[in-house]
Amino acid sequence: MMGATLSRWTMSYFTAAILSLLVAEGLMAAGYGFPAAGLLAPQTLLLVHLVALGWLSLLMCGALFQFVPVLIARPIHSDRLPLPALVLLIAGLVLLLCGFLHLSGLPVPGPNPLPWGGALLLAGFAVVIYNLARTLWGARPLALPARFVSVALACLAVTAVLGFLFTLVLSAASESIVLAGLAASGIPIHAAAGLAGWLTLTAMGVSYRLLAMFMLAPETLGWRTRIVFWAGTAALAVVIVLGIVLVLVEVSALPALLAGLVLGTIAAALYGADIVQLYRKRRRPRIELNSRMASFAIMSFGLCVLLLLGLVAASASAERFASVVFLAAFGWLGGLGLAKLYKIVAFLTWLECYGPILGKKPTPRVQDLVIEPRARRWFIAYFAAVWLGTLALLLPQAALYRASAAVMLLATLAIAAELLRIRRLSDVGGELRLPGVVARPHLLFAVVPPPRPAAGAKPPTERPPR
Amino acid sequence: MTESFTDLDVRPILRAGGEPFAEIMKAVSSLAPGQGLRLFATFKPVPLFAVLAKKGFTHEETELEGGEWEVRFIPGAASPAEPATPAPAAGKPAVAEGDWPAPVQEMDNRELDPPEPMVRILAATEQMARGEVLTALLCREPAFLIPELESRGHAWKGAFEDDGTTYRIHIRIGG
Repeated sequence: MMGATLSRWTMSYFTAAILSLLVAEGLMAAGYGFPAAGLLAPQTLLLVHLVALGWLSLLMCGALFQFVPVLIARPIHSDRLPLPALVLLIAGLVLLLCGFLHLSGLPVPGPNPLPWGGALLLAGFAVVIYNLARTLWGARPLALPARFVSVALACLAVTAVLGFLFTLVLSAASESIVLAGLAASGIPIHAAAGLAGWLTLTAMGVSYRLLAMFMLAPETLGWRTRIVFWAGTAALAVVIVLGIVLVLVEVSALPALLAGLVLGTIAAALYGADIVQLYRKRRRPRIELNSRMASFAIMSFGLCVLLLLGLVAASASAERFASVVFLAAFGWLGGLGLAKLYKIVAFLTWLECYGPILGKKPTPRVQDLVIEPRARRWFIAYFAAVWLGTLALLLPQAALYRASAAVMLLATLAIAAELLRIRRLSDVGGELRLPGVVARPHLLFAVVPPPRPAAGAKPPTERPPR
Repeated sequence: MTESFTDLDVRPILRAGGEPFAEIMKAVSSLAPGQGLRLFATFKPVPLFAVLAKKGFTHEETELEGGEWEVRFIPGAASPAEPATPAPAAGKPAVAEGDWPAPVQEMDNRELDPPEPMVRILAATEQMARGEVLTALLCREPAFLIPELESRGHAWKGAFEDDGTTYRIHIRIGG
């Protein structure tokens, strides 16, 4: 079969991701972790991993199980593997967080579970990567958006392996001097591979396609997009390969990080130009809330790069760089995630409920599942709070930062409530809502009808390389 | 010139999220000889132009306030079977080999927001007879449409045109 069907477990990933985000924002508002604790204090590490793994990685994995098949117009290798992967990832995350609590001096019974957490996360991501890589492999030659995702998956593998090695050192499960050196100097490589490699490259690749699709913009992925891809890939390769080699020979990894920054800046600037062109050349004059809010996220990405360059040029202290990580996690990746969730949840729910009866009975439109003006103010509050929080971390102003986190929590709760209403079809009026054969969708998973073999000719369809 | 028109306002159906295609075709078939159809819609119903051209109608359209349209379909002026909006790359042979007959309906869905192309195509297939072929132009591979066509038992063929941006799909009803 060709084409893409609904991903059964994507909604479960989204639910776990949003719950992680809410807990993380609650902790930040309560003053847990940086800046009250140190930059590398166990409390800060707990918070960072709750956001990077619980919120952003689960969100991206859930989205990729649905959108890799859309990118390549082929079904996923396995629609079952995402469930065991999710169980492994959640169990690994919980153990990892318990491990950080253990390190912070809290009386967690038994030996430190940190390595077990790292191992389960590694196993979970291995299953995710295997499933997506098998899917992509069958669709070669890949169009550019799918190539971004492929490199991002390679970066995810590196991040997860490094993270697992760090857990061995942090929990004193390993006394290897080589690993201790890697853990001491390799943290920026682990962070860059995760934030810039895995999460940012995925967001870039998927955003090219989603923005073009939802704004009716021509998907002109020309020379500039190819440079974005190659410069971004080269940046990550330099940071990861050269960086690890430098750390292993006990030299500072700074040259690798700076070279990566130069290449990464080129990629980011050209990506920005591509996206501006997409917005300008769109054939849809009035765009939906998700595309308007995505532009705030992409602006946050630009701000991130400028802030990073400014802090490097000013030789700022490591603490100041926390503002860049915060803006990247909540403004760029998290902001894009929330904006696109607002569309994706509506679209997938609509497709699940009404796809089988399209043309047979009157059905609502996708936009009938959402009430944009109500959600709009919460998105604006969210982005305003993220930008204020970034400023608070730069100054630094701990009270302002906590207040920003509280507003983010409130806005996220409201957006999550909107997503819940979408999933429950709460805003679809009258008889259109559940016309007889349509059952209300389950909150956590999609009901996917088994594919029926095609009755006629098989299609000779191949996407020409762009 | 046609003097008499039957009016059909499908705006309430469209606003309610419904699909007015069946309603329109019912109105067309009930027209008296020489009578035209005046249609009111919330958007310019481009796909309909080709469908009605096949039935021998030409059209005149006027944009109303708020992006809505009044379209007058006038009988007898166009030669049947000549599409009003010829598809690009028309030099390319339509799929007609084997048991794939020439399409009875053509749609240009390239300017429609997703998932509107899928909605239109599925609505049209529900009105067609077994063995008939629908051809549609799209601006991307219809990833979610294809499994739905297959689950409804229709056969399909699709590929990008030489321009690399237009995707042409042929759907044969009932496999």
